[in-house]
Amino acid sequence: MRVFVRLLSTLLALAVAAGGLVLALEVGWAWWRPGDTPLLVPWPQWRDRLAEVGWDSYAVRLTAGIAAGAGVILLLMSLSARRRDVRLHDPVTEVSVTTSPRSLARLVGHQVRAQDNVTGASVTASAKKVRVRATSRLEEENQIRPRLLEAVSALLDEVPLLKRPKVSVVVDSPKDRR
Amino acid sequence: MNQRSTSARALARSYRTERTLTFVFGLVAVLGAAAVFVVSFGVVGEYRARRALLDPLAVDWLGGHATLSKIVAIVLGVVLFVLGLRWFFRSLRPEGRPDLELDRSENPVTVTSSAIANAVQADAETVGGVSRARARAVGDSEHPALRLTLWLREGTDVRQVWAELDTRVLLRARESLGIEVLPTAVRIELESGNKRRVL
Repeated sequence: MRVFVRLLSTLLALAVAAGGLVLALEVGWAWWRPGDTPLLVPWPQWRDRLAEVGWDSYAVRLTAGIAAGAGVILLLMSLSARRRDVRLHDPVTEVSVTTSPRSLARLVGHQVRAQDNVTGASVTASAKKVRVRATSRLEEENQIRPRLLEAVSALLDEVPLLKRPKVSVVVDSPKDRR
Repeated sequence: MNQRSTSARALARSYRTERTLTFVFGLVAVLGAAAVFVVSFGVVGEYRARRALLDPLAVDWLGGHATLSKIVAIVLGVVLFVLGLRWFFRSLRPEGRPDLELDRSENPVTVTSSAIANAVQADAETVGGVSRARARAVGDSEHPALRLTLWLREGTDVRQVWAELDTRVLLRARESLGIEVLPTAVRIELESGNKRRVL
């Protein structure tokens, strides 16, 4: 998403520059030689067309709708292009450390799978929250869940994270379905 | 700017300008569309909504101030062109790899970014638990920093790794360069242990 925003930003910049150039050139040209054919864009036709269309016409509303939609997409993309890395404590003053959410999830997943009676686990992690979804064939959720929570907490105590993420554990056990 | 923020800024490439400008562009589009809707649905008057997009009133006003409008339009065009080009080249510019200028009063030395990156990379790969390392110089020549990405094997103690990193790898880099501080951003990636897992 971050690379995409850079690409998008480049295209927008090009559009702004091109628009500015055309505006300056056309106005200058029309001022210098009034009555001549326009330089780059057929603006007299556009002007005549715009003079016919009313503010309440369908075309104007459609164009505004498309512009609003594109604007919302730009807003969402620029907002979602933030860094998702997980900051760790600086071990020394001039050294800063991060890890990727995926690495944190792997670390937690490894710990969870190493517990007794855990058949499988899937973990998603961000700087703020770690979600564990584990499956167990032998134990019920209320038996194994506190243990897993404790294990994950102990692990997070060991990893020097700048902000401790919240932990949520869900256990899927066939024993609960009986 | 202190050293701490130099190393923190070296963690990842900054996207602030691109994000801000994209955000502003999107905001302008949304607000402009909202204004058009307001006029179009007759909120500012039924009569207003039925008039032409290019209103004769506005055209007459522009005709009355022809010279001023032309000057404003040309200046606006030039400003947009210049700002757009600056924004364009800023977005396209690759992330800098500054060389390190060592200020040794009598004979100043320049260490190329690739030299220091290769040296640190080779050194970091000898640290226990590190399977792969990548180093590069980042930042500008005023505030150069080192970005070090380490891929750790599963089950490696992170504290152990960066104790060794600081006391050996970075210390050696600082000593060989003869500098007190080398702002460093370390990105740790944990490798999945069972790569040959059959799915």
